[in-house]
Amino acid sequence: MPGLEFRDVRKSFGAVKALRGVSFEVREGEAHALVGENGAGKSTLLKILAGIQRPDSGELRWAGERLSLGSPKEALERGVGMVYQEMLCFPNLTVAGNIFAGREITSGGRLRNGEMRRRTRILLKELHLAVHPDAIAESLSAAHRQLLQVARALAFDCRILVLDEPTTSLTDSEAEHLFTVLHRLKARGTTLLYVSHRLPEVFRLCDRITVLRDGSYAGTFPRTDVPPDAIVRAMVGRDLPPREEHTIQTREVPPALELEGFTRQPCFRGISLRISPGEIVGLFGLVGSGRSELLETIFGLHVPQGGALRVKGRPVAIRSARHAARLGIALVPEERQRQGLFFNLALRHNLVLPSRTAEGRVVIDARGERRDAQHLLERWRIKAAGIDAPPDSLSGGNQQKVVLAKWLATSPSVLLLDEPTKGVDVGAKFEIHEIVRRQAAAGLACLVASSDLPEVLSLCHRVLIMREGAIVGELAGAEATEEAVMHIATSTELRGAS
Amino acid sequence: MRRLWEVRELSTVAILLLEILFFAWYLWPEGDRTHPFLNAGNALLILKYSSIYGIAAVGAAIVIISGGIDLSPGAVIALAGVVSGGLFVEAGWTLPSSMAAGLLVGVAAGTLSSALIVLVRLPPFIATLGVMGITRGAAFIITEGRYFDVSSKLIGGWRPAGLPADWVPPAVMILLAVVFQILMTRFQWGRAVFSIGGNETAALFSGIAVGRIKASVYIISGLLASVAGIVLAVVQGQGKADLATGYELDIIASAVVGGASLAGGRGSVLGAVLGTLIFGVLRNALPQIPGATFYDRMIVGLVVIVIVVMDQLLLKRGK
Repeated sequence: MPGLEFRDVRKSFGAVKALRGVSFEVREGEAHALVGENGAGKSTLLKILAGIQRPDSGELRWAGERLSLGSPKEALERGVGMVYQEMLCFPNLTVAGNIFAGREITSGGRLRNGEMRRRTRILLKELHLAVHPDAIAESLSAAHRQLLQVARALAFDCRILVLDEPTTSLTDSEAEHLFTVLHRLKARGTTLLYVSHRLPEVFRLCDRITVLRDGSYAGTFPRTDVPPDAIVRAMVGRDLPPREEHTIQTREVPPALELEGFTRQPCFRGISLRISPGEIVGLFGLVGSGRSELLETIFGLHVPQGGALRVKGRPVAIRSARHAARLGIALVPEERQRQGLFFNLALRHNLVLPSRTAEGRVVIDARGERRDAQHLLERWRIKAAGIDAPPDSLSGGNQQKVVLAKWLATSPSVLLLDEPTKGVDVGAKFEIHEIVRRQAAAGLACLVASSDLPEVLSLCHRVLIMREGAIVGELAGAEATEEAVMHIATSTELRGAS
Repeated sequence: MRRLWEVRELSTVAILLLEILFFAWYLWPEGDRTHPFLNAGNALLILKYSSIYGIAAVGAAIVIISGGIDLSPGAVIALAGVVSGGLFVEAGWTLPSSMAAGLLVGVAAGTLSSALIVLVRLPPFIATLGVMGITRGAAFIITEGRYFDVSSKLIGGWRPAGLPADWVPPAVMILLAVVFQILMTRFQWGRAVFSIGGNETAALFSGIAVGRIKASVYIISGLLASVAGIVLAVVQGQGKADLATGYELDIIASAVVGGASLAGGRGSVLGAVLGTLIFGVLRNALPQIPGATFYDRMIVGLVVIVIVVMDQLLLKRGK
């Protein structure tokens, strides 16, 4: 039976081709999985299906009939029910209020609360959801709020239910409940499009699996005759050229940074690692694996619950970012706009802020500040109108270099990088990698958290793999292939950390 | 960037000068009578009364630049006046020690605000609204409807630091404005205040002691409000619980007119003081125009809107 068809869908954002002609079909009544690495184009495809974005070319068809979706409301009316990764709910409204938000049942402008409550009760019963229609959404568990979105989609008679990484913020037992409900919906004949990078989930639920890679269609496989490894290979794609061998002499010096049993629940637990001066260690994990939280805790922004942290062999309890900076630890955060830059201050103020703060300066030395800022601008080849330019006049790549430069100006001995090349162009990415390599060669210890696998493999001497808050594997040298890393990052059985 | 702020302050000066020119022209006397507005005595009067607002506006500007808001200055002004006035008039304390007690009131109010904001994590609006109620209430409890007659106990011809008494409030205002302008622009502390107001998360990620800096900002605001309170008690000659009611809004308006953005990260101490002078001139000159008295508040409101809209238009063109 023809269901939902994507026909040669293309979408670009500026120079970035997010989708390069994707065609596949979701049959009516089946559970179809859409998998791919971060940045493969899954989200863009879903946004087009949800009516949030329009494709540059290509079309969507439902039962042979063309679907032209101009807005999320239109998508909903045409039977596309979305359950988003980040739970969209109105925490201040009741369960019934959430389910009917935007499409309230009214008569003559007056809300028919009784009717909405009655229908909500029926829906909740179908989903075996033991919550009261008048309960405030905020009081519900994460899983129940997730199921509320499912109920909302069903209330609008959706023909296809699309779920985007629905288990990311759920515990195992909560995810189990969601799966029970999805299996029941599937048995009832609801078409499901399930987007995830957790392969075990996909294999449990779905009949067929479509793989996207770099914005292109990489094949559709029936679950029954494909091993998980083949899916991983399709996600990763190309056979990579052999990595250049990194040689690093483990010198007879204490590690620049050492963690032992480092724990902050529920984000990460029992993290042990050591980084020597001059070493670049990758920390690969998918979104939600606890990477950013780990880096932020090392940097003193959160208080760990247990475990030891040693800097150059000396045990320390880091109390604040200020303290971390004084100990020679620097963090280039994931979101430069929100966490890295001051848009009300000129570039020169931005460039010298962490170093001057860490030095504990009292009086501003305006001339020294200009001189240092000018030096940093030239040294790291940051393209800007000058040191007085506002940061928002810079490109994303140059903004990222500003954040990197302001921390390198503190002369750290440990550099923590969180998605260092997120959203920057290829040229800037190359330059940032070069900067990191050069600094490492001069003795800096680097910990690079990234979900960009090729980046991790080409930049780092060895790769730690994180999943659900724990380090589940370590690969180095010839062992560290995209396939091997992805396999560990997505499989459920634990491999002991070496 | 600093050059840009200088321009911004210059535009506040320009508005002030235009305003003075307008009233000088409008109130020009017939014949050779003395000008009712443009004379040295009146200028001193304007400065003296403006300094009550101006001293507190220094603190308000710093709070606003840090991305916060302080609603308590009016009440702190009253309480500081009541406490130092009461101790001086009824308890027989010396003038300096009564003043010191008044300043402690401001520090206490500021400390309470900062504890509520930094430790309890209340929004500044709510925290300082509460502190405003507490301090105003304390002033009423202390006075029980009376007022302390400070003027009767001050010796005539009192010359603190060798200055005529009328010159002291403006001198204090100018001194504090200059000191805090320098602290805000030439000291790492001021840079930290600007960065917190511009992006608090990034400030935290940059190793700035965000909590400590924010606390210092509210304590300074309280302290400066209490200085203003003591000045008011001396200028008005009394300590009274219902003085300075609603001053907080005039003070915030002055800071905004002087270039501070309520979104944080932008503004200047000098601009805020110049802003209080703009309103000081208005409050002085309008009553001299027959029939204009009743338009006083409305004109003040219109001036705030016009100046801020102009500022935004200029800022947009600058970009």
